[in-house]
Amino acid sequence: MTTTGSSMLLSVERLGIRYRIPGGAVTALSDVSLALGRGRTLAVVGESGSGKSTIALAVMGLLGPEADISSGRILFEGTDLLTLDAEARRQLRGARIAIVFQDPFSVLNPSLRIGEQIGEGLVHHNGYTRGAASSRAVELLREVGIAEASAVAAAYPHELSGGMRQRALIAGALATEPDLLILDEPTTALDVTIEAQILDLLEELRARRGLSMLFITHNLGVVRRIADEVAVLYAGEVVESGASAQVFRAPRHPYTKGLLAALPRLEARREPLASIPGRIPDMRSPPAGCRFKPRCPFAEDPCAQPQALAPTEDRLVRCWKTDGLAATQWPKAAEDAPQGRATVAEPAAAPIVAVEHLSKTYTLTRGLAALSFEGWRPVLRPVRVRAVDDVSLTIGRGEVLGLVGESGSGKTTLGRAILRLVDPDAGTLRVGNEDVTRAPQPALSAMRRLAQIVFQNPDSSLNPRKTVAEIIGRPLRRFGIVAPRETSKRVRELLDLVRLPAHYANRYPHQMSGGEKQRVGIARAVATEPRFIVCDEPVSALDVSVQAAIVRLLAELRDRMDVAYLFISHDLAVVAHLADRIAVMYRGRLVEVGAADEVLRPPFHPYTEALLSAVPTIEGPAASRIRLPFEQRRSVADAGCCFAGRCPRRIGEICDREPPPVRRPSATHTIACHHELATLADAPGTVTH
Amino acid sequence: MPAQLKAGLVIVGVIAILGLLAPWIAPHPWDTISIRTRFQPPNATYWFGTDEYGRDVLSRLLMGTRLSLAMGVGATLVSVAIGVPLGLMAGYFRGKVDEILMRAADVLMAIPAIMLGLLVLAVTPPALWKTALAVGFVYIPPIARVTRSVTLGLANEDFVQAARARAESTGYVLFREILPNAWPPLIVEASLRVTYAILLGSALSFLGLGAQPPSSDWGLMIAEARAFVDRAPWIALAPGFAMCLLVIGINLVGDGLRERLDPRLKGRVEKV
Repeated sequence: MTTTGSSMLLSVERLGIRYRIPGGAVTALSDVSLALGRGRTLAVVGESGSGKSTIALAVMGLLGPEADISSGRILFEGTDLLTLDAEARRQLRGARIAIVFQDPFSVLNPSLRIGEQIGEGLVHHNGYTRGAASSRAVELLREVGIAEASAVAAAYPHELSGGMRQRALIAGALATEPDLLILDEPTTALDVTIEAQILDLLEELRARRGLSMLFITHNLGVVRRIADEVAVLYAGEVVESGASAQVFRAPRHPYTKGLLAALPRLEARREPLASIPGRIPDMRSPPAGCRFKPRCPFAEDPCAQPQALAPTEDRLVRCWKTDGLAATQWPKAAEDAPQGRATVAEPAAAPIVAVEHLSKTYTLTRGLAALSFEGWRPVLRPVRVRAVDDVSLTIGRGEVLGLVGESGSGKTTLGRAILRLVDPDAGTLRVGNEDVTRAPQPALSAMRRLAQIVFQNPDSSLNPRKTVAEIIGRPLRRFGIVAPRETSKRVRELLDLVRLPAHYANRYPHQMSGGEKQRVGIARAVATEPRFIVCDEPVSALDVSVQAAIVRLLAELRDRMDVAYLFISHDLAVVAHLADRIAVMYRGRLVEVGAADEVLRPPFHPYTEALLSAVPTIEGPAASRIRLPFEQRRSVADAGCCFAGRCPRRIGEICDREPPPVRRPSATHTIACHHELATLADAPGTVTH
Repeated sequence: MPAQLKAGLVIVGVIAILGLLAPWIAPHPWDTISIRTRFQPPNATYWFGTDEYGRDVLSRLLMGTRLSLAMGVGATLVSVAIGVPLGLMAGYFRGKVDEILMRAADVLMAIPAIMLGLLVLAVTPPALWKTALAVGFVYIPPIARVTRSVTLGLANEDFVQAARARAESTGYVLFREILPNAWPPLIVEASLRVTYAILLGSALSFLGLGAQPPSSDWGLMIAEARAFVDRAPWIALAPGFAMCLLVIGINLVGDGLRERLDPRLKGRVEKV
């Protein structure tokens, strides 16, 4: 984009940034140009390591001392920010340019009231008195859709939910009436239903205040929802930029094509997910030519030449083959087997896992902390949370049960309770043909070999002090699966099974990428030749391009080893790609269970419906949007429906008071709701909160 | 190898070698009294001067090296051998086990170290190994606490859950999964404890409860030189400086080891 700074609010021109590290430098950005007009939203989208956060920090002037700006300019209203001194930049920061960070849990100071933190900028930049600032803070909180604004202003951060905190942060960023709002992954740490609300809010604010937004994210669905223009970043370079509607409709750069093909979509759950093989190049010495060449299926010799970001029709693309590839799709890998199977495993066979009326309650306050007073009489009243509340489910042999729910719904606790990593309070639990509900830990050896687990966070799930060979070899030795002499041979076979080269056996976890670590985690789980694996958000921490490959690997292992999964995820689209059946969990209870096709079409449980409507899609704005109130109404009795506090289709008192009846649209489908099935089958109009 | 580790190893190594070879390289007998050569300041014959009995300070210093090193390392080994397993258990099991172990540690820490040492040594005739044992005992709580706090974090890591999901024994989880990751802070703590132990051992010797005259423990040397510090400061300065150098050396080794032991800081392999 050759626009000069004058007409644009922000324009980044040929920005190059490197980080100095011991023994060299890592290239974070090279030759990045972006332009953002007034009242527009520009999304910068890229995977981890693409350098997207560096852009945000550079514009804010918050780069650390190890960052080295090697070239380029950042023009804000025509002034080059990089030439300003520290004090001038500080004046701009917060006053004219504000930022909202990713994690609302760590950005707010836990020991200051929300109101004070929002008003701080006003006192600082606009000369407000403390009193005036705090009343303005209440107004701002109201503007971002918080009803009890004065109560929230007086609250401390820990008293608020994640969605509330993110609203408060946005209110704080808006306080000084900035012209430019930078949002660095503002919804990544939030649940989908909350994310949808925050995006609504941002759209509304932009329309009302004429804000310009620089939106940084890895989530393509979010980009489609909010951005006018999009710049796709790969390995520190913009590879494609243009109007977001056009880029999404017809991606031109191979990387963009791959990213879009790898995105799991509800509408296409039978179609295999594509993935992008390989990983980003070593940025200590980035390749001179096209940086995507090693991973690109269309690569040819001329790709070794440096590529320029060249205008093509309606956008800029950094690929010399653009025109020739215009109509070409990202290839589907030959090995692709369909991931969702048309037929559900026969329920007649004895299930591998049978759970009945399982409950687990956590006591949050113990001992003296639980002490309270009734008048003068001391009473112990511990705070308890029902993480899993009377859950019954079965998983057939070789079957994939998807478990969907938002954070705090108890899905992880349920998964771990089934493996007896958490001891349930009540109910029965059968794994294989064995009742393991009360068996002491040492007696669980047989079950432990039969049932394994794959974790969400590949950094935490592998012991950083052990090599891959030790990590995968340990279960082999522990259960005597192969003769000790054969261990290293079997480790190589397992590595091959998860598609890692044999020499990875000598690596430590920190020497691998996230996707590779996750493969090692999967190899460790299948080493015991289990019949059942709890996959606890196995792809949530991974980039989209890697996510698809892991989902495909899991599908392949299921077919080859006839292993059943409890596939836990907050992402319905991912679950839909793999699951035979889906269970939807809310506040410790299963609100809907059924075959995947049944759950994904009406009749819906109101919560399932809200989840489906909140899933961001790249097909454009959804026709009807259901938004949940972002907070639980108080005073909902335990006896009632667990979802009554947020339900957009709440009938009335009955929802709060009585447990919902279980309705059965079909033999395999259950919905727990007071509504009649006929009512649930009706697609309701837009429900607003 | 980190530069700190190199420097530390050189310092500690040289001191240890000098200590080991002391009987052969000491220029004079370390315990022969000679009234005629009393209070000689450092000179060509007696490099570090002589003490109130005319004994060569350098020779005594060299002979005392073994005692001080044995004291520091021995006491630390005792506290690590007992404190680390206790800390692992407290951090892993939490609840009652943690409560009991940590309250016991609090009680132990509430009593000044020197008092505890005195308590142990006052009831039995003093001997160096007893001093080492007593000092080691005194330093169990800090080692246990550091171990516990590291364990608390590590016990929540998924690789520990993965080990439980393979029905690994508690011993395996504690010593094979958790402990290797707990070493870096423990090594720093332990190296710190070596120096504290040398100092506390010297203090006890100074009070007459550790090494006994005519032994040349550094603490005892300082204690004995105290009376003449105005007339002959070199008698106290020499062991003081020696102790200082050893303490610095050990701390450098500790810091360096922590860096060296972290696999994340080892050279990354080339990406394939």
